[in-house]
Amino acid sequence: MGRSTTPRHDAIFTSTLPEQVSVLVAKRHHLLVRRSHWLNVPILLGLILSGISIYWSSPIYQHKPDPNTGNFDVVADIGIWLCAHVPWLHHYKSPPDWIYDHMSLGPGMLAPALRLHWLCAYAFMLNGAAYIAGLIAGGGWRGLLPRRTDLRDSFWMFRYYIGFPWAKLARRQWPHPSFITKYNALQRAAYFSVPLAGCLSVATGWAIHKPMQFHSLAAIFGGFDAARVWHFWLMWFFVLFVVPHVVLVFADGWDTFRGMITGWSARVPRPEISAHEK
Amino acid sequence: MKNKARGFFGERPLPTFEVDSQVLCRRTRRDFLLFGAGALAAVAGARSLLPHALRIDDDVSELLYSPHRMVPTYTKSQITPLKNNYNGATPDSGYISAWHLTLDGLASGLSVALDIRSLMSRFPVHEQITRLVCVEGWSAIAWWAGLRFDDLIRAYPPASQAKWVRVESSVNLDVSGRPDPYYVSLDLTTARHPQTLLATHLNGQALTVEHGAPLRLLAPVKLGLKNVKAITKLAYVAEEPRDYWAERGYSHYDGI
Repeated sequence: MGRSTTPRHDAIFTSTLPEQVSVLVAKRHHLLVRRSHWLNVPILLGLILSGISIYWSSPIYQHKPDPNTGNFDVVADIGIWLCAHVPWLHHYKSPPDWIYDHMSLGPGMLAPALRLHWLCAYAFMLNGAAYIAGLIAGGGWRGLLPRRTDLRDSFWMFRYYIGFPWAKLARRQWPHPSFITKYNALQRAAYFSVPLAGCLSVATGWAIHKPMQFHSLAAIFGGFDAARVWHFWLMWFFVLFVVPHVVLVFADGWDTFRGMITGWSARVPRPEISAHEK
Repeated sequence: MKNKARGFFGERPLPTFEVDSQVLCRRTRRDFLLFGAGALAAVAGARSLLPHALRIDDDVSELLYSPHRMVPTYTKSQITPLKNNYNGATPDSGYISAWHLTLDGLASGLSVALDIRSLMSRFPVHEQITRLVCVEGWSAIAWWAGLRFDDLIRAYPPASQAKWVRVESSVNLDVSGRPDPYYVSLDLTTARHPQTLLATHLNGQALTVEHGAPLRLLAPVKLGLKNVKAITKLAYVAEEPRDYWAERGYSHYDGI
């Protein structure tokens, strides 16, 4: 099959059809990073649901039993408060259990919850190792390291995020602070602390799980009971990370989301533009 | 691009390249399908591997156990209240007068019955202030005294093929007060741990009924649920015996 078109024809052909346009693409995430990122979704969900079931069997935060209800659990108090103040929950059958009924594996599930928690914990450790391997293999770890300018830059980013909805409502210009790094300062702080929190969760988890074989590990966190408190609040760190993380990915758009699947980002400043910025 | 030296820790610019927009589309479609297929495969794999995978921790726990690692001990000022955590109703004290400990599965082939007086007079008393950890997550520091399980094992050696001991209490009751014998499996390596006691005293007093008079197991390297109160029988066996809580979904090994 001989080519009948002349080079000149070819050039015209390319420039008139939009799907033939070439795009500049950056390799953003290593395959191991992407894979472990998504595996964290079911793993963290399993850890949190089973973890709250385990918490239920012996809550950390207790007070003197209420003379009327006999309740001593702060989490149950929150459920009682919710059912009393949220109109459609007024007739909930067991207000003290509302939080647990909706955020754990359900009542009487301590044995399966423990097994599921441990299984997910092993998966979490393996997955975390794969994530770190991906950060090293892809060189992505450098983009997560804190910088001296981060405190100032996070202030600007914070101001941007807080002001963004108001600026939208008021139809005002609200320019994104410009930066030439892979992540902005707030992202960097978040993505740097998540692996740290993961390591701390694993360490406090072992301290609770094996308080005798690993008693010196438990001692680092202030003993068995204190390690449970650490472990509990580290879960909240992940929850507090995930909520804005998901909201901001939606706000940021398709390219960011696709980047975590394909590893490619088409949102690349052209070299000549970044040369201008300099 | 800046020419300034970045050093080892400095961020590198992302590698970029030109692709055809169609290539980008195809790559996106391919990877979304691959990740979706991967998720489905992971679900299918998890379903078939789950029954085995849920039991991995028993093996890991056993690997982590070291007979030479001692559990931390505490001072008397660190002692905390220890609640009566009988699973069902607390037995009536009537059983204590006729109580004796039966040993089965011995090398001698005999079945031995020992009363509390002979147990307490024949073996040296050991004291320790250790933490008892419940599977539910609470724990208590208590001052225990009693004989070492290991001393009993030396005095009445188990049959050579024995790897386990079934620790049993026939006096346990369920919530409505009906007999509900309690039995756990304990590996002999744990039984031989120097801090594994057959306790007779708690906080300087002879054990009360609530805490398993006259003799209870105190294995601080195991969860509280293995620490059988009011032991009536020890049977040495080759295969892992039945375990009350393992039959109710909890793990078998329970080493902490």
